[in-house]
Amino acid sequence: MNEFRREPPILELRGLSHVYSAGTPFERRALDGVNLTIKRGECIALIGHTGSGKSTLIQHLNGLLRPTQGQVLFHGQDIFARGADLRGVRFRIGLVFQYPEYQLFEETVGRDIAFGPVNMGLNNREINRRVADALDMVGLPREVAEKSPFELSGGQKRRVALAGVLAMQPEVLVLDEPTAGLDPVGREEMFALIRTLHETRGTTIVLVTHSMEDAARMASRLVVLREGRIFLTGAPSEVFAQDEALTRAGLAVPQVTRILLELRRRGIAVDAGCYTVEQAVQKLLDCRKGGRPC
Amino acid sequence: MLRDITLGQYFPGNTPLHRADPRTKILLILAIIVALFACDGALPYALLAVYIFGLVALSRLRLRMVLRGLKPLLFLIAFTAVLNLFLTPGDDVLWRAGAVSVTMTGVHKAALLVARLVLLIVGTSLLTYTTSPIQLTDGFERLFSPLKRLRLPIHELAMMMSLALRFIPTLVEETDKIMRAQRARGADFDSGNLLHRARALLPILVPLFVSSFRRAEELATAMECRLYRGDVGRTRMRQLKFGRDDMICAISAALFLGGAAALQLVF
Repeated sequence: MNEFRREPPILELRGLSHVYSAGTPFERRALDGVNLTIKRGECIALIGHTGSGKSTLIQHLNGLLRPTQGQVLFHGQDIFARGADLRGVRFRIGLVFQYPEYQLFEETVGRDIAFGPVNMGLNNREINRRVADALDMVGLPREVAEKSPFELSGGQKRRVALAGVLAMQPEVLVLDEPTAGLDPVGREEMFALIRTLHETRGTTIVLVTHSMEDAARMASRLVVLREGRIFLTGAPSEVFAQDEALTRAGLAVPQVTRILLELRRRGIAVDAGCYTVEQAVQKLLDCRKGGRPC
Repeated sequence: MLRDITLGQYFPGNTPLHRADPRTKILLILAIIVALFACDGALPYALLAVYIFGLVALSRLRLRMVLRGLKPLLFLIAFTAVLNLFLTPGDDVLWRAGAVSVTMTGVHKAALLVARLVLLIVGTSLLTYTTSPIQLTDGFERLFSPLKRLRLPIHELAMMMSLALRFIPTLVEETDKIMRAQRARGADFDSGNLLHRARALLPILVPLFVSSFRRAEELATAMECRLYRGDVGRTRMRQLKFGRDDMICAISAALFLGGAAALQLVF
C-alpha cells in the first residue's frame, strides 16, 4: 500500500451519494456519502454483498450515473463540471460490465472491438492497430477478427467484449464481476489477463467482486461496501483481521483465513493475516517452529 | 430513465377489490363502461362518479396516483372538450363571435365528454391497479374459455399474454443495461440527425434481439422440463371461486349501476 502513498490520485470520490427514483414511493438510497481515493497504478477490489451499492458506485466513475450529491474527480477535475467532456472521460476510464458478452452486436469480432476506437474518432490505421493489439492482449488469435462474435464460445465472447474496452486503451479499467459464470480455468485466465494489464501497462484496476479470495489475490487494497457506505478499507490482511465485522456485513472471510482465526481463538498463536493455502501452510510451519506444539 | 416507465401498474393491497376474482372485476369494469356510454344525464353521471371514486377509496389507492393516469390523455380531453364547446350547432346560443359560437347543447356535450373520459380512464385503471397481470390473464382465459369449443387457442393466447407481460420489465432492464454498456464505449444516442440516431440504436437492438431469443429458448426448455404441454389436462394453483368480495362487487354494481340506469330512464 505504502508504495502508492506518494502517487497523485487518479480518481477521487467526494461525499458521493446516489438516490434512485427520488420522490417516488420506490425511492432508495444506494450510496451514502462515499469518500474514496484511487491512486494511479493501484489495483483495488470493491467488495460487498448484493445491493451494497457496488454497481451503482462504479457507474459514477465514468459518469454513466450522475451523483445525487458529491463529486467525482478524475485527475483532479470534476467530470460533471459544466463544459466537461464526459464522453472523453469514458474513453479513459474503461468500464466492463457484468456478462459483457451480451453487449456484442457487430457482424465481425474486429468491428465490434473497433466500436470504441471508432467512437473516439481515431484513423483507420490506428483503429486496426488497436484491434490487433487488443486481441493479442486478451489472448485470441488475430484470425478471430473476421468471425462473427456469435460463433464463439462463451469464454471467447467475454474476451472479445473485454478487448472492446481495452482497445480504447483506458488509464483506469473498472471490471464488474469479470469472472462471473466462468469455469475455474476461465477464471484463472481472466485473472492472469488482468494482472498482466496491471503489471505491464500500469493500468489502474478497480475490480468488483463478492469473492474475498479473488479480492485478496488480486488487489493491494480492499474496499468493503455495506448499505451504500464504506464499511472497511485497507490491505487484505488488515481487512480480514476483522472477521466478525465482515460476517456482520454478510461477507465471509476466505476459508483459509477462517480456519487460522479459529485456531487462534483456541489458543494457538498463529498469524491469521493470510488468505491462500500456501501462505497458511507457511504460517502454520512458522508457528510450529516457534516451539509451541500444535 | 427507462427504469421510470411503469408498466402493469399493479399496486398490491388487501382490500375487497384486490381480493375479488379477476373475472368479477373484468365484468364489473365492463358493466361500468357500458353504463358510462349508456347514460348522458347529469344525475346518473353523478351517481356513477360517486360509485367509481367510492371504489377507488375502497381499494385504498391514492387519489393523486389515480389522477396521474389521466396526464397523458389530458391534451386529448381538453381538445375534444374545446371542439365540442365551440363547434356544436344549436339554437340556445350563449355567446357568439363570428362563425364560432357557444351553445347550451355544446356546454352540456363538452361537460359530458370530459366526465365520460375521466371516469372511463379512472374506472379501467382501477382494474389494472388492483389486479396483478397474472391474475388478469387468468381471468381473461377463464372468461373466454367457452370459445375453446370453437377451437380458438384461448389458453395459448392467455399464456402468451402473461409471458409477454412477465418479460416487459426484464427487457426494459436489459435495454437499460446494454445502453449503459455501449455508452461506456462512447456510444452517443442523443445527438446527430435522425438517420444517425437510428443507426445508433443498432448496438442496442442487436444484443436485445439475441438475448430475447436466448431467453425464449431457455424458457421453452424450462417449461417443457416441467411437462408443460398446453391446456390439455392442466390444473390450476389459484382456484378462482366466487366469494364474499365478489358479492360486494356484484351488489354494489347492481345498486349503483342499476340506480344510474333508473335515473337515466326517469329523467
